[in-house]
Amino acid sequence: GELMDLIRTEGQRMTAAQPSETTVGNMVRRVLKVIREEYGRLHGRSEESDQQESLHKLLTSGGRSEDFSTPYPPLRANVIEAINELLIELEGTTDNIAMQALEHIHSNEVIMTIGYSRTVEAFLKEAARKRKFQVIVAECAPFCQGHEMAVRLSKENIETTVMSDAAIFAVMSRVNKVIIGTKTILANGALIAVSGTHTLALAAKHHSTPLIVCAPMFKLSPQFPNEEDSFHKFVSPQEVLPFTEGEILAKISVHCPVFDYVPPELITLFISNIGGNAPSYIYRLMSELYHPDDYEL
Amino acid sequence: PDVPRCSADLIETFRAQLRDDPDVASAVAAIRALLGFLKQDRGETIQGLRSSLLAAINTLSRVDSSVAVSSAGELFLRFISLTSLEYSDYSKCKEIMIERGEIFLRKVSLSRNKIAKLCHPFIRDGARILTHAYSRVVLRVLEAAVESKKRFSVYVTESQPDQAGQKMAKALRKLNIPVTVILDAAVGYIMEKVDLVLVGAEGVVESGGIINKIGTNQIAVCAKAQNKPFYVVAESFKFVRLFPLNQQDVPDKFKYKADTLKTSQNLTEEHPWIDYTSPSLITLLFTDLGVLTPSAVSDELIKLYL
Repeated sequence: GELMDLIRTEGQRMTAAQPSETTVGNMVRRVLKVIREEYGRLHGRSEESDQQESLHKLLTSGGRSEDFSTPYPPLRANVIEAINELLIELEGTTDNIAMQALEHIHSNEVIMTIGYSRTVEAFLKEAARKRKFQVIVAECAPFCQGHEMAVRLSKENIETTVMSDAAIFAVMSRVNKVIIGTKTILANGALIAVSGTHTLALAAKHHSTPLIVCAPMFKLSPQFPNEEDSFHKFVSPQEVLPFTEGEILAKISVHCPVFDYVPPELITLFISNIGGNAPSYIYRLMSELYHPDDYEL
Repeated sequence: PDVPRCSADLIETFRAQLRDDPDVASAVAAIRALLGFLKQDRGETIQGLRSSLLAAINTLSRVDSSVAVSSAGELFLRFISLTSLEYSDYSKCKEIMIERGEIFLRKVSLSRNKIAKLCHPFIRDGARILTHAYSRVVLRVLEAAVESKKRFSVYVTESQPDQAGQKMAKALRKLNIPVTVILDAAVGYIMEKVDLVLVGAEGVVESGGIINKIGTNQIAVCAKAQNKPFYVVAESFKFVRLFPLNQQDVPDKFKYKADTLKTSQNLTEEHPWIDYTSPSLITLLFTDLGVLTPSAVSDELIKLYL
């Protein structure tokens, strides 16, 4: 019990410091779940679906509630071991995702992506070892990370084209698949991704092009998009309109949002280290990773 | 000779519950009445208990034919069977059942507050909410939002034929929330002004769709057409094992009030009281089991009934 409270307070402090970095909160929740499981195992409870609320539990539980206060000496060692396993899993996520590349990318396909994502880069590189395909990268202004992505991909001899964000819709009719990375996956299957992704998703939907999101499971966050502006991070508008244009700057207001919200209806498939899933299945994955009491840190 | 007396008592307890506490859900009152019935049942076997309970549930549905009462009854029955599997000695079994029944009732009475806590962060400051007819859960959610110092305004549909919307408007005015009552037909007109739609449910079906007061389907379709989020709030005991594919599939016994079913000659001339809203029109469901997407509902039902 005490351990969980300590971790929870630390987690609250860390998430308050940088709310847009949701992975911090996610990891804290994973650790809390690990502790609960280990405790439960030692306590002698069967670990079935005892963790979750359900109608079944409502009827049969008989009112016992976990208080986590009995001390168990081996608990510490078990928790540390479980956390090490978690670390190993985290380190292997990009490789796990890349291994699934061959199933999804076929020869002579045109793939579109936006900005720079390490996961997508590994995914495409792995597929390039056996297949020949072309990639179109949207440059993702104003930071233009698409350029870096294109450079890295072309080093692996993948035919890459860079284009501006405005041309996304125009080119979409020639594209077979859209593969993107994301910053966060929300509990309803929606995405928080780099600015420009929503446009890409809408264009893909219009042309019925499948939109595949490559993201490791630690990006899945049990939050819902309840307040429209809660996830937004704005950075200096320097990128959009440089400070040298001082005269104009005094008369207009300039914003530079970093993230975009993409609703779940536009996404076809999530590829993560545990396999491919539909967006409507996200709730299930969430219940496996986190405990409902921890959703609100 | 015992049966008519027991059933009359049962109906009386049920009605008394509803009279004394108008805020209680009819399903909770039904479960309380069934629990009382269980306590004074003098049978000796599980089979006997089940059949007398089935008879009791039938009498209750003849009094109040809503979906919620039926789902509560089924849940209670399931609860009995689950408990009876664990203990072979009948009297011990019965004691455990009564004890668990009390715990269940207590948990269920907290469910509205849990839902309110989950749902009110979704109401932003300055939001304009559209709701339909009279729902106590929605009222509780809006109350919680007011308590957390949010300012919003509400549009309520009049909800003919019983004008339930007026009742809702009165209750909301007491909470100092600016309310406007609109005609049922004005939903399409008002939808562009609204930020979100929040309705209760009488029953939540296996596909994730809901059964609610007539007019809900229209509101859901308009909301989808204008891209407004459509939120449903419902307690978990309202989950039923129905899977309607269209409006016709909803059983007649839920569509019409109990008295109409007994007295009317031709049901096609009666106006139905409820309709079915399909899950593709619903954005999120708020229940005491958490915030669920419509696809998660069937998972919950399977966990219970399997």
